[in-house]
Amino acid sequence: MTDSPAPLLELRDISKSYGQVQALRDVSFTVGKGETVGLFGDNGAGKSTLVKIMAGVERADAGSIFWEGKPAPLGSRRASAELGIEPIYQDGALCESMPIWRNVFLGREDTVRGGFLRTRRMRDAASDILRSDIEIGAHIDTDRLVSELSGGQRQAVAIARAVHFKRSLLLLDEPTSALAVRETEALLGYVRRLRDEGVSSVLITHNLHQAYQVCERFVVMSRGRVSLDAARDEVTLADLTNRVLDQ
Amino acid sequence: MTTQTAEASRPEVVRLGRMERARRADLDILAVFVVAQVGCVIAGLVAPGKFAYVTTGNFQVMLQAIPELGIVAIGVGLLMIAGEFDLSVGANYTFAAIVMANLVTGYGMSPWGAAAIALLVGLLIGLLNAAVTFWLRIPSFITTLGSGLFWEGFTLLYHGAGFVSFTPTGAFVTATSGSFGVLEVEFCWFIVLAVVCGLLLHRHRLGNWFYAAGGNATAARAVGVRTRRVKTIAFAIAGVTAALAGILATSRVQSIVPGQGTDLPLNAIAACVIGGVALMGGRGTMLGIVLGSALIYLIQDVLLLLRAPGFYLQLFVGLLIIAAAGLNQFARGRAARQGNG
Repeated sequence: MTDSPAPLLELRDISKSYGQVQALRDVSFTVGKGETVGLFGDNGAGKSTLVKIMAGVERADAGSIFWEGKPAPLGSRRASAELGIEPIYQDGALCESMPIWRNVFLGREDTVRGGFLRTRRMRDAASDILRSDIEIGAHIDTDRLVSELSGGQRQAVAIARAVHFKRSLLLLDEPTSALAVRETEALLGYVRRLRDEGVSSVLITHNLHQAYQVCERFVVMSRGRVSLDAARDEVTLADLTNRVLDQ
Repeated sequence: MTTQTAEASRPEVVRLGRMERARRADLDILAVFVVAQVGCVIAGLVAPGKFAYVTTGNFQVMLQAIPELGIVAIGVGLLMIAGEFDLSVGANYTFAAIVMANLVTGYGMSPWGAAAIALLVGLLIGLLNAAVTFWLRIPSFITTLGSGLFWEGFTLLYHGAGFVSFTPTGAFVTATSGSFGVLEVEFCWFIVLAVVCGLLLHRHRLGNWFYAAGGNATAARAVGVRTRRVKTIAFAIAGVTAALAGILATSRVQSIVPGQGTDLPLNAIAACVIGGVALMGGRGTMLGIVLGSALIYLIQDVLLLLRAPGFYLQLFVGLLIIAAAGLNQFARGRAARQGNG
């Protein structure tokens, strides 16, 4: 480990409290380049807080954060996005009342000088992305409103967006909990494919069986601390299940 | 098995139907408007004595009256799309106009300078609405209900209940209440404003952010859209358009009296809803807002020409609001079912 290059993202001794409740205590967490890390723990263990800090939605009270070995404060969503960190939410976090193509480019619109949209270019690019990168979208006109898409299709749009903008770290918080079996398989497929292209992912899930198929390293959290951090060849699925269960 | 049959029956590319594109572009409202216009014109030609619709006078009044509501509705509509309300536009309209009229009539100021100050007043009222809404974290419906009452009361405190005359001369009159042949200047202002705001809404990234902030503010923030800033701009636009409408109306009738804009906020919201703007934000078009305003005036005009009592207007506009909202809901539900099915 010591001679390997600096990890993509490293969180060192992170603490975070909400009023009286200490959500994270001295948590250290790393994600390597092109690595898929599974993050587990019971409800309230601090997984979501940790992900929010990585996404820049929440700010850590104490501790330090490094991106490719350099200090990175991650104080805002914008700062986190600039590094290439992209949270993928259960519902895709898309605007239902807007067409797919506008969602793909929301916040990163392709514009001429003065801020006017290059609508045709964005429409065409959105079609290309959905057709080539994410098969689930091949049947869909990008002028369709997101409200007409299923949960899996929405996540596919969110992932397509991440792929197009060359995100380097995807944060997937319970991505499969609302999906049909086929959609879940497709989603895990994308995560694998993205890893092959060098994109890192953090996958939070209650489904250890699924995570064991795609993740290379597992981190178990318990009451705001990391209770296990192990590579796949160091633990069996049964070990992992036990660690998550007895806390 | 079931998934396979579903897969097989799914068409290659689910393109948007022509009907759906039309509905989304508010061509249905346009159709209603055109049919109503054609009906009125035919009725006016058949019975010109009873229904004097096709006359220069009626046409001129229409071109003067639509902008008064329409300009306010443009600002209110943009703000509604961004997910917020402004019920203070009526008080803003009157207060800004009274400030302008007082500066000119009472202090001998140039009408240009006074109008600029009135627009600034409108802007500040809009920005204040945004600031209070976001600092206190209360719904803008409440903020602006309160600020509307406040500015209405403040107008009486500062000015009293009497009217102020406003009789500027020269280029200012031409620019605010003149006409190019049959084309009234107010109507030109309205159309220019609608085109500019329409481009902003549909072709500019700010418009994209309006829809996102109103449609799903959390999702918008997650991709880095600064929703508060975006909504603040919408509040500012609503404030400025309300003041502009007040300036134009005051210049046309050459006086302004407190309490004049009382009906404006709800009428503007009604115009937007009839034009397909969603009350919960995130949906609506500029064409819809313009046609919604024109439709409200059309009903008013028809009832006036038929010498029907004023309450008929409320009756018809009330029904139209409910019908429009119901139709939008119905169409939306059907589209969603098609997508999932």
